[in-house]
Amino acid sequence: MAGVSGFSHLVVDVTDLDRSEAFYRDVLGLEILGRGFLNDERPNSTLAFNTHHRIVLIQVPDKVEPFRPNSSSIHHALMMNADQFDRAEERLRGLGYKIGDNRAQFRAVGDRNIDIFDPDGHRYQLQTYNPNARAFEPENVGEVVCGNVKDYKVGDVKAFVAGKFFVVRRAEGFFALSRWCTHRKGLLAWKPDHWCFYCPMHGVTYDRKGENTSYFHDVPPMSAHPLSIAADGTITVRPDELIERESFDESQLVAVPC
Amino acid sequence: MAELQSVNHSAICVHDLQQAIDFYCGVLGAREASATDFVTEDVIKGRSLHRSIIIEDYLIALMLARDFMPMPPDEQLRGTHGFRHAFGVPRDRFKNLMAVFKQNGVAYEGPVEHHAHGPFGESIYVKDPSGNFLEFLWRRDEGVRYDGVTGVGEG
Ligand code: FES
Repeated sequence: MAGVSGFSHLVVDVTDLDRSEAFYRDVLGLEILGRGFLNDERPNSTLAFNTHHRIVLIQVPDKVEPFRPNSSSIHHALMMNADQFDRAEERLRGLGYKIGDNRAQFRAVGDRNIDIFDPDGHRYQLQTYNPNARAFEPENVGEVVCGNVKDYKVGDVKAFVAGKFFVVRRAEGFFALSRWCTHRKGLLAWKPDHWCFYCPMHGVTYDRKGENTSYFHDVPPMSAHPLSIAADGTITVRPDELIERESFDESQLVAVPC
Repeated sequence: MAELQSVNHSAICVHDLQQAIDFYCGVLGAREASATDFVTEDVIKGRSLHRSIIIEDYLIALMLARDFMPMPPDEQLRGTHGFRHAFGVPRDRFKNLMAVFKQNGVAYEGPVEHHAHGPFGESIYVKDPSGNFLEFLWRRDEGVRYDGVTGVGEG
């Protein structure tokens, strides 16, 4: 195997090293380490993140093309903690930048992003994850009646808007799962053709047990809500109460009364 | 202290998603992270066609280019397209990396030794199958402890 240990640095072509060095330091907030570290006859400057990641600016004689012709969506995301992000917002506003995020609708609650271009048109996204992004905020909708057990076949999943939850019918019984992704706060969609719950934010998927089936290995199962079934088969869910789960087991299901 | 922690991910364009996956996962040891799901409304909503891969602490979204991107000359292995990604390799694995490239028929230029007063040791330069320039190097500061990088999907 190749044995790559991780990212080291991004080499960035610039037309004016002084101007770009100032931008990466004063606007983005990197620390200048020094010039001329690279074995390259062109003027170059290395700037540091707090981790081992670096950006190396190289002054090129020709015009800088930040994107290859016919490419699209090229960008680099720079990660901050929430405090650094607050300070960046303030700093950028103070410097007269318009702060906008044209993909806000694709982000989970608590994901924050600022799009910014350097003096040569290189596109960056400054990003952070809000530490409160996982907090559960009940909608205070009280009890939600979700039809009758007769309305569900084994394997059915129905989404409910008020209270944001799904009712899932498994062979052994019913349970209610929260629509909030447990990674951060993306809203899950049920994908009937793929038998999975899908989060459009970072792509986490869950099966009908609510268990994470994606490459984000640390994401816990979907949370549940109390569900009850009356003698006549009426299903009621209380989505204001959240039940966090470590894994699925059958005791979480409510059996259909005989 | 800097006001930024890390570079978290990039989106770059390729001509052939499968060919790119074969290179990034098969040769470089990345793992596949996600793919655009065509049955979803993602594409209609403006999401681009992509597959993403994770190399240790870094995610690259490999986006399908709109049209054929002019390729650098075959013999050019060291270059930029406005930017270039450089990945670290422990110093004691550096020779092994060159051997892996040789085995897989990946041409490289170098090693080029950098100046001893900086953090960079030696680099080799390659291109991915779509002509994107990449660099691999060992670093003189590999023993230094910095803040840990929050990996993709953590934090
Ligand atoms: S919020 Fe990240 S995958 Fe759902």
